[in-house]
Amino acid sequence: MPNKGETLLRVEHLCQYFKTNKAVDDVSFEIKKGEVFGLVGESGCGKTTTGRSIIKLYDITSGDIYFKGERIAAGTLSYRNHIKEAKKKYKEEAEALKKSGSADVLNAKKAELDAYIAEQKKQMQEARRDHKKHKTVTEIQMIFQDPIASLDPRMTVGQIIAEGLVIRGEKDKAKINEKVYEVLEMVGLVREHAERYPHEFSGGQRQRIGVARAVIMNPELIIADEPVSALDVSIQAQVINLLDDLRHKMGLTVMFVAHDLSVVKYFSDRIGVMYYGKLVELATSDELFKHPLHPYTRSLLSAIPMPDPDYEKQRKRITYVPLKEHDYSTDLPSLQEVLPGHFVHCNKAEFEKYRKEVQE
Amino acid sequence: MENKLSVNNLVISFRTPGGKVQAVRNISFDLKEGETLAVVGESGSGKSVTSKAILGILAGNSIIESGSIIYDGMDLLKVSEEDFYRIRGDKIAMIFQDPLSSLNPIMRIGKQLTEAMLLKGKARQKASRTAFNSTLALLSQAMVDSQAGGNAARAEELKSMCKNFDKFEFKHIELEQAYNVAHEAAVEAVDEIKEVLFYIEKNAFEDQKYTIKEIVRLAGQTGNDYVVCGKDLEALKQLLGELKKVSGGEIHSGKYTETTRILKELQAILEKALKTEEPDFFDMGYYITFSGQPLPQMPVSELNDFLKKYTKENFMDKFHACAKEALAYSAKQHDERKKEALQVIAENYEVFTKETLDKKECSEAAAAMVRAVEGSIDRLEIRKDSVAYTFKSSIRAALHTYFEGIPKNKKAAAVHKKQQAKYDKLTARGKQPSWKVAPSTAVDLELAKDNVDAVIKRMENHYKELLANGASRNFDEETEALIAFFRENASSVVLKVSKSMAKYKALKLMEEVGISDTRKRYRQYPFEFSGGMRQRIVIAIALAANPDILICDEPTTALDVTIQAQILELINKLKADRNLSIIFITHDLGVVANMADRIAVMYAGKIVETGTSEDIFYSPAHPYTWALLSAMPDLETNERLEAIPGTPPNMIYPPVGDAFADRNKYALKIDFEAQPPMFKISETHAAATWLLHPSAPKVEPPKIITERIARMKAKGGASNAE
Repeated sequence: MPNKGETLLRVEHLCQYFKTNKAVDDVSFEIKKGEVFGLVGESGCGKTTTGRSIIKLYDITSGDIYFKGERIAAGTLSYRNHIKEAKKKYKEEAEALKKSGSADVLNAKKAELDAYIAEQKKQMQEARRDHKKHKTVTEIQMIFQDPIASLDPRMTVGQIIAEGLVIRGEKDKAKINEKVYEVLEMVGLVREHAERYPHEFSGGQRQRIGVARAVIMNPELIIADEPVSALDVSIQAQVINLLDDLRHKMGLTVMFVAHDLSVVKYFSDRIGVMYYGKLVELATSDELFKHPLHPYTRSLLSAIPMPDPDYEKQRKRITYVPLKEHDYSTDLPSLQEVLPGHFVHCNKAEFEKYRKEVQE
Repeated sequence: MENKLSVNNLVISFRTPGGKVQAVRNISFDLKEGETLAVVGESGSGKSVTSKAILGILAGNSIIESGSIIYDGMDLLKVSEEDFYRIRGDKIAMIFQDPLSSLNPIMRIGKQLTEAMLLKGKARQKASRTAFNSTLALLSQAMVDSQAGGNAARAEELKSMCKNFDKFEFKHIELEQAYNVAHEAAVEAVDEIKEVLFYIEKNAFEDQKYTIKEIVRLAGQTGNDYVVCGKDLEALKQLLGELKKVSGGEIHSGKYTETTRILKELQAILEKALKTEEPDFFDMGYYITFSGQPLPQMPVSELNDFLKKYTKENFMDKFHACAKEALAYSAKQHDERKKEALQVIAENYEVFTKETLDKKECSEAAAAMVRAVEGSIDRLEIRKDSVAYTFKSSIRAALHTYFEGIPKNKKAAAVHKKQQAKYDKLTARGKQPSWKVAPSTAVDLELAKDNVDAVIKRMENHYKELLANGASRNFDEETEALIAFFRENASSVVLKVSKSMAKYKALKLMEEVGISDTRKRYRQYPFEFSGGMRQRIVIAIALAANPDILICDEPTTALDVTIQAQILELINKLKADRNLSIIFITHDLGVVANMADRIAVMYAGKIVETGTSEDIFYSPAHPYTWALLSAMPDLETNERLEAIPGTPPNMIYPPVGDAFADRNKYALKIDFEAQPPMFKISETHAAATWLLHPSAPKVEPPKIITERIARMKAKGGASNAE
């Protein structure tokens, strides 16, 4: 088991395309052991898809996901693209060389290309093998957004919670029941609840059942996909507190996906901001709220409602129009580290600008 | 500010297999004109039930036990379903939580927007006709009474003046309607021309056909005296002739240059026409009807001034003066009657003070009171005196509850006694029955009697107040309002809502709620819209009938932060533009700081705290409000959130004391024994908690809130936009 501060999950150049729709496009980040990583953005920006890709509900298009140092998922598109590019490059060079007429150089180039392709193909095979080897990762569990839709109405709570154990091959009924009672009490429900059906519970209790189902597998990482968005404010606090307790008690690492910024700010250590499939900013939560650099982050922060009437009356919302803000016609942007631990999606000119802003 | 809507002592329960669920327990609030009232509370606190009661769309198993919702001289709880058709949607509109489920997925947006307009068009025409005629008749009678003084000729003159109003009022609407049709045709024609020109330019060298029949048809409809007229109209006709000759309804590649030239000229003419000002049809109607001369030829802006002056000199000033006098006279007459009515009430009041009421006596006394009050209502007032108008139905209903309750109570008591005996017998034997004794369904006769008393007292106080303020009435303003009322009703009588008119209106609405490219959007289906856009459509539908009151039931809960901010801004803007009164229902206190003028916090069917938004956010007084505020993290919260423990109480067995006591760590002993009354903290701020009682121990709100308030105060509302 990795120690605190070690990297638990590493996502590298994750791409998830649905036909032509680039739901997640080249996203990289790390989650350290014991921290809460928040992912925010408006609906449709790919936060949930990222979470689902990590838990292998989708086969990712390209990129790698490492969990505890082992590659658990990998996509092959990047290798295929590399081969394509190399072939194209070779073709151009070969045509130029044919005219000058040195066969030796041409042969050398050809050999180089073949070696490169073989190398890429080997890597691709490895990726496929790794991807298949880790078919299911029980150490990563997910809590879903809608507590009503995510619980089977025809199963008792006990059955729902135990389902993971049963699938893993646990046959001893007494052992299963004991485990179910244990987690039920852990999430603030009582033993008797195991016999009941989901519809007999209130919204907050249903979400507790969702948490219990995830926790019973003794996971290292929990991906919480908008666990509080469908709940009342008072219940929200209960669920957040529960997650917080479990996190300390079980040493959990949490990836917290939400669109409510004040909740994310409260709960997370580090926050990534997503916009249309891209990770546009990544920083510790205090840093992000103190020095938001990317214009989209600023616009998002300006939209947070506050319980302060005077402030609200003066509030000016910043709108984000990507075409107006950025000029990426010559220099394409990428995720760059402006300050230690503070990444922003920008190109060179913007990088300099942000850096200046930070120093001031 | 005038009260638009007032809810008094509303009590609503639901019949369920498990027993009677008390959803709303005696709440009262007022909604003033042009203000936003936010109702905040957990799910199940009765917020939505209240709003549904206002709209008359409660579920079938609901029982309205007592109370009144007064709007525009009506008690909405006692209005017949037929009358409700005229209120629901037209006067009070609602925006629902989930925009996807409140739109029909297989109907185009345009049809959904215009559906209600087309359906309701005829009914509205009829209603406006009646309102117009009856008020005009009343006015003419009041004029004759006040100014003729027995002089037959003068009386005739006054009467004919009123009749004239009728005549020319209707003339102008015809003109206006023709104008709107032509104007709309011009707009569409310009759009079509632009489209065709765009495609021709794009594919200039390809052989393609473009049909231009639509353009010819639309351009043909634009010939109106105020849209395209005179030289322009001749030019237009000539161009259309050329166009037909060149193309015969279709353009082929060979004739591109020729047709393009013609289309461009056509576009220039129409665009020029669209830029000109809209004439004043009201005054024009008068001129045409009574001057006997053709309209003078001059530019529209000059024409408007000329007509305004003409109407004012010849008719409006005189009419205004006469109407004002009539109003003052009528008000004076009715003040006398109000005094009489007060006397009648005072004489008959004695009957209602007895220990047990007598049915016959009471109904006679009530009938006398009702007669006196009905006689004293001045029906010429445009702002209806709600208290007087609803007096009859209120007192009858209150008496009915009381007298019906007496026989019912005997039966209920017997049932309850029998059950209790059975329960006691079982427990005496040491058994634990799995069922509970159902609470007695008896009517609280004391409460019913108090209700009767309250109705009479309210009426009395209201009239006393009116008589005291009688001198300060502004008849000038009231006359203006009366004339505006006539104009408005006349327009809706004549305005036939045709399909094209409805479309024109719908497009304007869509623009107003911030949807771009309206003509394309008009033909789309709901699934082609994003969440925020869908909610805009729902708002546009709600606004289609130009309502006074808008009820927003969690309009932003299904949306994310950026879209939420946009929708809230839109609602705020519309409120300012249209002088709407808004009831905003939500469970998120963070949202309402921006919106609300006043906030009412609800818990377990009761309003526990009410105040202006500054009161609630800067000096909250009720522990439940504290709990709501501290459950919500803000950007600077680091300490553990204070979740509210437990769940709301089961409302089949509502608690005896304060409903929040079980979950409240500040609860006093008395909280479990008696319900706290509303303690007034300031003029605008009140809360129902025993902590505000003078002899209660001093309790500070939780640290998380006091710190946040201190922080907010220190910032002084500094904006985030540096």
